[in-house]
Amino acid sequence: MLAIQLAITGLQTGALYALTAVGFSLIFGSTRIFHFAHGATFVIAAYLFYWVYGTGWGLVPGVLAATLGAVFFGLVLDRLVYVPIQRHEGSFFTVFVASFGVGIAVQNVIGMIFGRGFTSVSTPLSRSAEIIPGVYVSPLAWIAMLCTALLLGGLHFFLRRTHTGAALRALADDPELVRTFGLNPRRIAATAFVVGSALVVPAAIITSATTGLNPTIGHHVMLISLAATIVGGIGSIPGTMLAGLLLGLAESLALLVVDSQWTEAVTFAILFAFIVIRPSGLLGRVVAH
Amino acid sequence: MSKAFTIMGAFAACVCYAMPAAAADHTIGALFPLSGPNAVYGDVFMAGSDLAVEHINADHMLSGPMSIAYEDSQGLPQPAVVGMTKLVNVTGVPYTLSAFTGVSKAISTLAMRNSVIAVNGGGVGPDLADLGEYFWNVIPLANLEVRAAVPYLVESLGLKKIALIYVDDPLGQALKDELETEMPKAGGELVDSFSVPTSAQQFSGVAAQVRATGADAVYVASYGNQQLQIVKQLRDNGVDAQIATYSGYAVPDALALPESEGMIITGQSVDFSSEDPVTKRFVDEFKAKYDRDPTAYNVNYYNATLLYGILAAALEADGTAITGEALLAKRRATKSFDLVGGTVSFQDNGTLLFPIEVKQIKGGRAEAVTSVSFN
Repeated sequence: MLAIQLAITGLQTGALYALTAVGFSLIFGSTRIFHFAHGATFVIAAYLFYWVYGTGWGLVPGVLAATLGAVFFGLVLDRLVYVPIQRHEGSFFTVFVASFGVGIAVQNVIGMIFGRGFTSVSTPLSRSAEIIPGVYVSPLAWIAMLCTALLLGGLHFFLRRTHTGAALRALADDPELVRTFGLNPRRIAATAFVVGSALVVPAAIITSATTGLNPTIGHHVMLISLAATIVGGIGSIPGTMLAGLLLGLAESLALLVVDSQWTEAVTFAILFAFIVIRPSGLLGRVVAH
Repeated sequence: MSKAFTIMGAFAACVCYAMPAAAADHTIGALFPLSGPNAVYGDVFMAGSDLAVEHINADHMLSGPMSIAYEDSQGLPQPAVVGMTKLVNVTGVPYTLSAFTGVSKAISTLAMRNSVIAVNGGGVGPDLADLGEYFWNVIPLANLEVRAAVPYLVESLGLKKIALIYVDDPLGQALKDELETEMPKAGGELVDSFSVPTSAQQFSGVAAQVRATGADAVYVASYGNQQLQIVKQLRDNGVDAQIATYSGYAVPDALALPESEGMIITGQSVDFSSEDPVTKRFVDEFKAKYDRDPTAYNVNYYNATLLYGILAAALEADGTAITGEALLAKRRATKSFDLVGGTVSFQDNGTLLFPIEVKQIKGGRAEAVTSVSFN
């Protein structure tokens, strides 16, 4: 029973990891910008939902505010930070440091506004019920898994069946070729930020009710996103999704064999194993240099 | 030329005016978590120490104004050592406030080597009693809290099987050791223990493991935001067993958490309704300044700061320079101190002894259910 319980818990965790990691992977894969502030996007969305929902506006305004906040933050960061840096010298490292700095600044601003302590959204949906003897699942776990399936299915459709999706994929392959077709790479990159930032919103909202929030939670989100992107194969959206699920499951099922203090190490052992054995990741393409 | 001379003269006059010849500024240090997941404690600690500074300055206890140089420890040993090095070598403080078990242990060697007094009012690891003569505790340590909690849980509530979730650091390890010792004595059993890293935030898997043990109660030995996340996720994931913890949980965020309802916590006993002038002044002015009731942490850092005021004032009266050695000698020579909570004395190991209260959280407040005295 414990194994089943841990598998279900792992699937819930993995579904949320997949959503956040796919957002990061989409941005990184399309634009080659190491968007470290993706964790900050998560924090902004979560706290906006917490604030709007907590002040009694209800679920829909809360979700809208979180989505608008996340998308606005992603777009503003792209326009005001990444684009100017890339225009001047475009160093990967400079962009990373700028993104890292923004992440720290957001963490502190959120701490100043909402306090640095623990907060959570109180909802009966986070309370588990016994579905079979010894196995408890909360309604939010089902919602998390359903949201992930729907959103990632929708993303797959968007990338495969729409012109904008095709442009995003083309941008990841060859930005110069995109330009020769008369498309604006900057505008396509902005689309990547909109979609990638919006994808963290469900995970941020569900986390605000299950794990709870504090301003530093973005670091963990970023760490997992990075690990899932590498394990899944850089640039591979299905690979990142699978890796997110795999990491969530591994983190949870590891409790069957090791103490809970080693579960984070399991995540990074998997990451290390992939780097050594299969550097291209689960579904990534091998690139010859 | 004359204009420049006038400006320089005015500047020099301002500097001289701002530095009275006889008064000595008193600066003590403090290593509190001011950022990161434990920052919530920093605010609580500072509320007590800042109020004490206000009172010391208002009463002109010392020859000059007193202030506190705060350094951010983040509740972690490494940044704390950096902060302590700065306080000792740059700021040159003779006395510093410390918090958290890991932090206190890390800085204690610097305190000892440089003869700087370090006073802990927040860390409760039992080994904090053995960190040398320059390390003092104005808080009862967790071994006493466990010794008060276990008999209440096992004998009074009949909860004989206890599972433990503990943070993998010196505090968590010390509480685990103490529970392993105390549970059999009370006729109970520590059925299993689960360590979690200090950075962990996801505990649904641990909750499943706790449920599988069939424990009657769960003892949570963590701190900061993490302990709240553990409690919330235990309840959310179907753990209905009684939850118990130590004084680290007595922060406003934790008490207000709906999942905290019914929890058993322990902590030092402070009679806030006491009519003794020090306690009454502290309680009245704390409520006026912060618009909330004080907690034991507020008391401890008020006491730790006031203790410096008392010792330094006595040294100034003797005409003795205020150094770590002199403060230690004066504390040893002083039989008792009038602090918040009453007249107290230090044990030989530099730790104040307080009775321990066992409390239950009801409606966002911790209500005392019993009190245990130790001699």
